[in-house]
Amino acid sequence: MTDLRNDLPDDGPAIELAMGTLVTLDDDLAEVDVLAQQSVAARSSTQTVMRRFRQHRAAMSGFVVLVAIILLAFSSIGFGPVPGWWKLDFKIPMPLVDAGAPTLSVWPPSLGEHPFGQDNIGRDYFALTMKGAQQSLIIAFLVGIVGTVIGTVIGACAGYFRGWTEAVLMRLTDVMITIPLLAVAAVIAVSSKGLGGVWILGAFLGLVTWTGLARIVRGEFLSLREKEFVDAARSVGASSGRIIFRHILPNTIGVIIVAATLAISSAILLESALSFLGFGVQSPDTSLGQLINSYRSAMTTRPWLFWWPGLFIIAIALAVNFIGDGLRDAFDPRQDRVKA
Amino acid sequence: MFVFVVRRAVVSFFIVLASTALMYVLVALSGNPLKDLLEYNGPGREARIAARTAALNLDVPIPGRYVLWLQEVGTCVAPGGDECTLGLDRKLRPVLPQLDVALGSTMRLVIAATVLALLLGVVTGVVTALRQYSTFDYSVTFIAFLCFSLPVFWVSTLLKQYIAIDLNTWLQDPQMTYASIGLLGLVAGLIWTIVIGGDARRRLVVAAVAAAATSGTLIVLLNVGWFRRPALGIAGIAVSALVLAFLWSALFAGLRPRTRPVLYASLATAVAGTIVVALAQPLMAEMTWLTFGALVLVLIALGLGIGYLVGGHTRRLAMQISAVTAVSVVVLMSVDQLMRAYPALFKATGGRPMATTGSQTANLNGTFWESNLDLGLHLALPTLAIMLISFASYTRYTRASMLDVMNQDYVRTARAKGLNERTVVVRHTFRNALIPLATLVAFDFAGVLGGAVVTETVFGWSGMGKLFTSGLSNIDPNPVMAFFLVTAVATVLFNMLADIAYAYLDPRIRLR
Amino acid sequence: MAIETQAPDLRRAPEDTGPILEVRGLGVDFRVDGEWVMAARDVDFTIKPGEVLAVVGESGSGKSVSAMGILGLLPKNSRTVGSATLRGTELIGARPAALRAVRGNDVGLIFQEPMTALNPVLTNGFQVSEVLLSHQNISPAQARERAIELFRLVDLPNPEGRYDSYPHQLSGGQRQRVMIAMAIACDPVLLIADEPTTALDVTVQAEILDLLRTLHHRLDSAILLITHDMGVVADLADTVVVMKDGRVVESGPIRQVFSSPRQGYTRELLAAVPHLGAQIAAGQLVVREPAPGTAAVTAGLEDRAPAPVVPALDLRNLVLEYPSRGRTPAFRAVDDVSFSIAHGEVLGLVGESGSGKTTIGRAVVGLLPVASGSVSIGGTDVAGLSRRELRPLRRRSAIVFQDPAASLNPRMTIGESIGEPLFIHEKLRKAALDRRVEALLDQVQLPHAYRNRFPHELSGGQRQRVGIARALSLGPDLLVADEPTSALDVSVQAHVLELFQELQREQGFACLFISHDLAVVEILASRVAVLHRGKLAEIGTREEVLLHPREPYTRRLIAAAPVPDPDEQQTRRAGRAAALAAGADAED
Repeated sequence: MTDLRNDLPDDGPAIELAMGTLVTLDDDLAEVDVLAQQSVAARSSTQTVMRRFRQHRAAMSGFVVLVAIILLAFSSIGFGPVPGWWKLDFKIPMPLVDAGAPTLSVWPPSLGEHPFGQDNIGRDYFALTMKGAQQSLIIAFLVGIVGTVIGTVIGACAGYFRGWTEAVLMRLTDVMITIPLLAVAAVIAVSSKGLGGVWILGAFLGLVTWTGLARIVRGEFLSLREKEFVDAARSVGASSGRIIFRHILPNTIGVIIVAATLAISSAILLESALSFLGFGVQSPDTSLGQLINSYRSAMTTRPWLFWWPGLFIIAIALAVNFIGDGLRDAFDPRQDRVKA
Repeated sequence: MFVFVVRRAVVSFFIVLASTALMYVLVALSGNPLKDLLEYNGPGREARIAARTAALNLDVPIPGRYVLWLQEVGTCVAPGGDECTLGLDRKLRPVLPQLDVALGSTMRLVIAATVLALLLGVVTGVVTALRQYSTFDYSVTFIAFLCFSLPVFWVSTLLKQYIAIDLNTWLQDPQMTYASIGLLGLVAGLIWTIVIGGDARRRLVVAAVAAAATSGTLIVLLNVGWFRRPALGIAGIAVSALVLAFLWSALFAGLRPRTRPVLYASLATAVAGTIVVALAQPLMAEMTWLTFGALVLVLIALGLGIGYLVGGHTRRLAMQISAVTAVSVVVLMSVDQLMRAYPALFKATGGRPMATTGSQTANLNGTFWESNLDLGLHLALPTLAIMLISFASYTRYTRASMLDVMNQDYVRTARAKGLNERTVVVRHTFRNALIPLATLVAFDFAGVLGGAVVTETVFGWSGMGKLFTSGLSNIDPNPVMAFFLVTAVATVLFNMLADIAYAYLDPRIRLR
Repeated sequence: MAIETQAPDLRRAPEDTGPILEVRGLGVDFRVDGEWVMAARDVDFTIKPGEVLAVVGESGSGKSVSAMGILGLLPKNSRTVGSATLRGTELIGARPAALRAVRGNDVGLIFQEPMTALNPVLTNGFQVSEVLLSHQNISPAQARERAIELFRLVDLPNPEGRYDSYPHQLSGGQRQRVMIAMAIACDPVLLIADEPTTALDVTVQAEILDLLRTLHHRLDSAILLITHDMGVVADLADTVVVMKDGRVVESGPIRQVFSSPRQGYTRELLAAVPHLGAQIAAGQLVVREPAPGTAAVTAGLEDRAPAPVVPALDLRNLVLEYPSRGRTPAFRAVDDVSFSIAHGEVLGLVGESGSGKTTIGRAVVGLLPVASGSVSIGGTDVAGLSRRELRPLRRRSAIVFQDPAASLNPRMTIGESIGEPLFIHEKLRKAALDRRVEALLDQVQLPHAYRNRFPHELSGGQRQRVGIARALSLGPDLLVADEPTSALDVSVQAHVLELFQELQREQGFACLFISHDLAVVEILASRVAVLHRGKLAEIGTREEVLLHPREPYTRRLIAAAPVPDPDEQQTRRAGRAAALAAGADAED
């Protein structure tokens, strides 16, 4: 037990059980393992991961949906100087058609004048939703990337160097779990209000969402740094940098990619919740959450103003979650392992 | 244990200190509380600026301000702290009284959501793990992913619009067409088929039985006007109690000859408990928390006593399960009484009992059961909304943890010993699978509090969330800090409880 | 392939002569990636009352899955076909309830890993009582009494106290005793022991084997022993079934199989097993008296230049500690150990788990800090040097790890792994690096094409060759080999050891060979050091230590190691019992 504890990715005893599985490999399964290896032709690990991911139906559908949404959001109304194929501008009010009801029809398939309807002052809601989706996606990916980079660096340092780096991180984690993420994000978002723009908001939110990933990466580093292949590198005099970047990090890449994916899906929910509370994206800028917030009171009269952005949030988050699940299975064939 | 609590209290103190310091600085940097006054040009501008500056110590630099705030908090902890205010808000009112009101309703919400999510999540997780790759497993997996992806505020709004408002409208005149009764029956049949599973023949039988039972029950309930005057009745309590008694014995003791006394004891407890409840009916109208507590104790004592007498050489188990049965009787009794309180509440709320705003009906002045039913109906939808994400993560986590434990060597050992499947699952797998869950609860708690902020906004509760959001948008630091202080203390407390639970579950961990 | 055997002795009452377990045409398959993969096929054997039948084979031979398949204990993605009758009752395809009634009651099971086979959250006693309570109609109090009685039967110290303790409070050997108590709780007619001693130290193994033998005599149950260890087989079995790749290769009475194996595979397998004492007895090496103080010179290296004065490795009063973490106090793993290794010499460092042997090996290559004392490699003390100062010295020493799967970075190709030391120290790049890597692959007899493979695409033996190639890439003066073959199957072990000897002879590096296996050390080392609880118990030439051990601990260690020969093992066992009786007071 004592030597096992050194591998624990956390001071808390939580992970002990999960580690138990990593260590045990009982005879039966070892034998099966050998058999499985014989039957599978040699492939590189990246190819194996790709193949497993492609076989994961839910993940592939998630992937297709996400790509479709991204293409739709950015191509329809254009992005920056690039014009899109959708004719209407999201800023310009137009006369209300049929009280602004959606004209989208599934059968016979037609878009109509305003497929998603119009808002109370007659702006085209399809264009608005697309704009909101763009902004939400930008924030989500930004938060995911910033959080992942910070989390990886801090987690890697804490896990590899131990000592005070680790102590500081662990105490920081202890402190962070006492603060609801939504609340601290709200405070941060309010602080960044004056600085303007979704880019700043996304970067700032990334500053508070790294803790989970740092914990996971630290856990991976703690267990990997005790592995014999790391000892082997150390015994031939490899530098710390080489050990971290050449030996340990490549072995944690799966975990990091999965965590980053899930960070993106929680970021999109975080952004929309903040905007809904009025702390996130501010009018006249827009995002999916901000749209729902603006038209909350129109729920009974114009329900589509509520439904469209909500459905887009769910579709994006669900797609990203399925991709994350598929990636986890692809990177770690021992499925359903307890997430630490 | 004592040493552990003291040690943890000290550590927790420093954690709360650090967390509040961090948040104090962030909140202080998030805006200038004088902003509106600086833009204000009316009379008394200077005086009002001076008053607010003095009240919020704005002339002191941020670290100093934090120390002053700490002193303020300190007076609340120190004995005889009558001066305690937790600071003043921007309108120069003390924060503490506002917090008092907010705290109660929010904690009710958060704890109800956590407990329900935990119970449902763990049960669902266990069943999905036992039936890995079944239709039920896939359905729950999909639902869990959907829950992970649902924005809380969006669900809350939906619930409010389509459940509360439409349900209230229906309750005004509870009628149903035969078509919708049939449809509900079919849906119920489908759900039960997925939950129970089995081969094609069994599925068909289950679907048919469930559909018929659901539709039949609905017809009967509608015809006797049950939705206007719902109740379980003593007969209902008795039957449900017997079923539960059987269920608990079968689940936790098994129905082998050796453990037969356990079954007898818990069945006897169900009968005796129902009799006690029937005899206590006159008490119900004047029920208070005190009499309720006394009744609960009497029933548990009854269960323990029966277990002791009937238990034989399985005495301990019999006592435990009889006590659980007694608690079940209490729950059934409460459900019955809450249902009986419904007509009065229906009238008091003007025929719209499902609440959509606030945490309780103002000026209700009902009986014990009426006000509790009122609280419960107010809680229902926000709790449901917050629960979803926690429920999803508990389900997934329990499932993963169960599958993990099921592959352990000692579970194979348990099978090799010839233990029956129930023992293998309950005693050897489930108990071990629970261990990592203890930590998750602690981590999840702060998340649930965050969810509460959102749902409170949607459902118009004046709870902690309201305190926080209005404080933050009005640049009013002290109420915001009160929120962070409470969440920090609550989380470290929850964390400590989780660790104690952990040590209780896992003998390898010693609390030091 | 029915086996005609007779129970080796007639201590058993003759009335029950029908077989206990009769297995005919047993097959097990696993569903892997949508295909059925064969794990065992056409397995036949019969166990008579009172017989100990050993199923031996290397990993992947299907020995374990066959036994688990009989009792329906395999995972869900498996299927079992054929027939297995326990005293006339068919087990394959039996209803789950019927199988449950058999398991634990008629058939007791003992698993390999005592650390994980017991439920960590239940008390030891309860885990035994539980078996009784589920098969017999008795009260918990009676079950408790019986469990304590069983604990006494399996020689668990302080049986009453142990009842309420948890598995993590016991040592490995004690846990295995609890496991055995559990298996024999309901007086089973058959005991299946799946590698019962593999995870245990050799002295503990000997005790557990003794216990199994005693219980076997006392309880009258047949034993199905599954193992890879020929020594264990020789010690316990009456009949042997040899399996390979899921099929039975050969079977017969133990003496016949061991003395005149009919099949080539069995012969190879037996030849590959290191036999303690074989080298010395065969007298293949001429041994001279070692020079006083430092080095011994092996006969095989006669033609080398006389040993220089400076030894390749010199440990002086070495103390190694694991520092305290939190409230865990510091642990002294190695205490005041001194020895030296001459150039070109192989020193075997022997000890049981926890003796500190691996710790010493890791400290020598600079992976662990030295608490006090000195570690001199080629005359330079490396203790207390900084990373930077240590770097040039790293070329002089290298290490081969125990687990070839864990010691290679799974995300680096074989070529990168082997070339890494050259990349770091000789700053070799591209073509120059490739050439050297190819040369190293040649040395360890691996094809050049393997350079671009990943570790998981290689077998265990091949991986260990890669590990050796990497260690030799810089031409070290000193090689630390930390149990390099203990994770390998015997036949693979034999090849790797052969390669190792060859390379050592060619390159003449000094070697600290760490092992728990005396027989392996005997093959390779000219001198042997015995480590016991962090202290050096004994050091001397191979012959001195193995033939004339001075310390009681060494004697116990040697006596406990089973040899793959039933007759010799029987003699040794008797000798060991005598030594134990005699040495009981001398020890403590």
